[in-house]
Amino acid sequence: MEAVAGFFTQFFDIYLILPAVLGVAWGIIGGSMPGISPSITMALLLPFTYALEPSFAIVLLASTYVGAEYGGSIPAILIRTPGTNAAAASVLDGYEMNRQGKAGLALGISLYSGVIGSLVGLSLLVMLSGPLAQLALAFTPPAYFALGVLGLSVIVSLSGESLVKGLIAALFGLMVSTIGTDPVSGISRYTFGLSDLLSGIQPILVMVGLFALSELLRQASNTEDTRVKAAPRIEFPDNKLKKRLILPQSIGALFGGFEGVMPGAGGTVASFMSYNEARRWSKKPDEFGKGSPEGIAAPETANNTVAETSLIPLLSFGIPGSNSTAILLGGFLIHGLVPGPLLFARSGDVINDLYVGIFIAAIALLVIGIMIMPACIWLVNRPRPYLNAFILALIMSGIYSINNSLFELSVMLVAGVIGYFMRLLKFPFLPTVLGLVLGFMIESNFRRSLLLSGDDYSIFLTDSISLILLSLAALFIIGSLSRRLLQMLFRQLKTKVTDTTD
Amino acid sequence: MKLQARQGLGILLLLAGLGLAACGGDSSQGSQAAENGIQAGSSNYPVATITILTHSRPGGGSDVFLRELSRYLAPELGANIIVKNVTGGSGASALAELARAEPDGATFYATTPTFIYTSLLARPAYTYEEVDPLVNLFIDPELIYTAADSQFETLDDVLEKARNSRGLWGAANPASLERQSLEQLKLATGINNAAVISHEGGGDLMINVLNGTLDIGVGEAQELQSQLEAGNLRVLATFSDQRLAEFPEVPTVYELGHQVIVRKFRGLAAPQGLSPELIQRWEAAIQTVLEHPEYKASYLADNLRPNFIAHAEYQEFINAFASETRDYLRTVGIVE
Repeated sequence: MEAVAGFFTQFFDIYLILPAVLGVAWGIIGGSMPGISPSITMALLLPFTYALEPSFAIVLLASTYVGAEYGGSIPAILIRTPGTNAAAASVLDGYEMNRQGKAGLALGISLYSGVIGSLVGLSLLVMLSGPLAQLALAFTPPAYFALGVLGLSVIVSLSGESLVKGLIAALFGLMVSTIGTDPVSGISRYTFGLSDLLSGIQPILVMVGLFALSELLRQASNTEDTRVKAAPRIEFPDNKLKKRLILPQSIGALFGGFEGVMPGAGGTVASFMSYNEARRWSKKPDEFGKGSPEGIAAPETANNTVAETSLIPLLSFGIPGSNSTAILLGGFLIHGLVPGPLLFARSGDVINDLYVGIFIAAIALLVIGIMIMPACIWLVNRPRPYLNAFILALIMSGIYSINNSLFELSVMLVAGVIGYFMRLLKFPFLPTVLGLVLGFMIESNFRRSLLLSGDDYSIFLTDSISLILLSLAALFIIGSLSRRLLQMLFRQLKTKVTDTTD
Repeated sequence: MKLQARQGLGILLLLAGLGLAACGGDSSQGSQAAENGIQAGSSNYPVATITILTHSRPGGGSDVFLRELSRYLAPELGANIIVKNVTGGSGASALAELARAEPDGATFYATTPTFIYTSLLARPAYTYEEVDPLVNLFIDPELIYTAADSQFETLDDVLEKARNSRGLWGAANPASLERQSLEQLKLATGINNAAVISHEGGGDLMINVLNGTLDIGVGEAQELQSQLEAGNLRVLATFSDQRLAEFPEVPTVYELGHQVIVRKFRGLAAPQGLSPELIQRWEAAIQTVLEHPEYKASYLADNLRPNFIAHAEYQEFINAFASETRDYLRTVGIVE
């Protein structure tokens, strides 16, 4: 009871409300800028935190993370540009809903799911920090390899009409992921002597090019404005829809909770996996890709859950699992707090403030999210030439501002042209994105595992986590393949029947 | 119509916010200048504002070190100091910006072994040879550690296992001083049967030492601090030239009979052609700052070990470091 009472007194503490609200607002703005990832949004804020109180600074940074994870879905829905890596899965159905004039509802679902994800993630963080932290320790290189393979297995069902085209697109992504410094030996690969390529090609550059720029190119070659004007009001899901969203949100929270704990995985696998699983378990799987509300709810719940659960390995071990938590680690260190096993004992008050701050941030997310929505919807209802010019300026300046690098800008432009042709030839984008995001993780952990075992491949079967994940991947692939085969047979039979009746 | 006007205002505000975010890279630096804005006194430093470049991102190792340093260095030199993060190309971009800058005392760069590695691995347009190593401030000790519940009590136990069966040794990154130190240890001990496995950073490495996947890892004291205090890790040896004050019972690798000493340096570099007066000025200022009681307490708490090297010797130091690294990279076949 005391804890609860303490919680409420803290809740009304202005020194926690202020940073939580500021952080969320800044996070939404940063996250909604194409190319500006949550970690960059946080990094921009970091220099300001030197002079602040430790609790104020930590809550400010953590709330920025929460806001940015939601913010990423805004451009995904409105301008087909994922603001963050993890928002790529939300592009599919979010942008479709927008084209159907349901931008308000799509944003409403994303916000509603984001808040739920944040709250679930916070509960996991508070209640399960100890046990879940042990999970992070159990993940060895073969297990990370298997996790990456499991993520890739989604390709079979995300490929759309042609599996072959999906696989080609995925291979393209995997090939791009090999550019840069070899993860094991340190040799430079496919860098052509360019130091800009040493650290590889950032997935966000390719994603913004593939999704957003190619869409602008396509619209430029198509003068008709086929958009439906969106009603300029916020729409939250009604009770019927809320009920329908429970399943995809639970799936999202499950994957997000699980993935956040594992250092290095980020939120992207969780959002793609939960999108795929939400479709598998949905009563209306055919709606996916054509504007299904479930297709937004699942990935958005997942990536907002990750924002909290990724704090578990950071707080318990001092090990940052992602770029964003690495910045947060910087925030802790600036104030002389060393995350790790002793943090809870030594600076329990800061941890407490952090929990309360994240809770306030989740509430603030809802309020601020509602406040900025009319502006967002007004924006997408502008005449298309203006809108497109604005988007182009936005993505170019966004990408340039990451590292002030013209090279990265040209990578994005090249990706856009490739995306335009992929679209003409009906190649799906998502396998490319998955290959690019997961390629490095799969390759480095595969080779690391073989180094550990002395080139003995059985290490992937003797490691129990790896065995479970690989079996799951095999199950997914076989399941999706057999469904495809059945559909093909069925179609052929149907055409035969119609042939004979003619 | 009224409603629309209000929404128009909203979007204007949003755009202003987005614009701010877009040029945030600069604004954050500006703010840092303001924050560090210890006003230039009655001194005669040739420029009002000094920019120190780092390839580290905000919150990274060199970034935190520089921002702390600039608080004490600015009043000493009598100029404002701005820390500028130039993150592209593993240091190549920062190196290029430094090499092209005027040697007027306005631009410097924070050196770490990364700038040697990038120069050798990527052969960028500007390498360490096109800039002037100014002074060194710190040398971070690299420690060999194992899990507290592991079978290894001494470095000899680890080497014994590698001789009898197979050693599994971990380094944080593929092109890193940590990996180099382990490869050099292999050469010095004549052990072939140890795999040196690189990871994606010190945290990733530490997990695999904690869960027993690896025999040992190599890392800086600062990274290991919290796990050491919690009793989850054990330090077996240090690659430094002498024993460390914080770990008096931990032997050096060298005294155990293996001729490997590793120096992870932190210093400053300038564009070529800095005037002798300015060089002297910086040498004096850095020495004074390293003795500043408040700063001393702060960097000692961060496990940084002061190791001042003056300009003349620093050039030799960097050149020796580079040629040693080049030899190593050739030996393991990373460069021809």
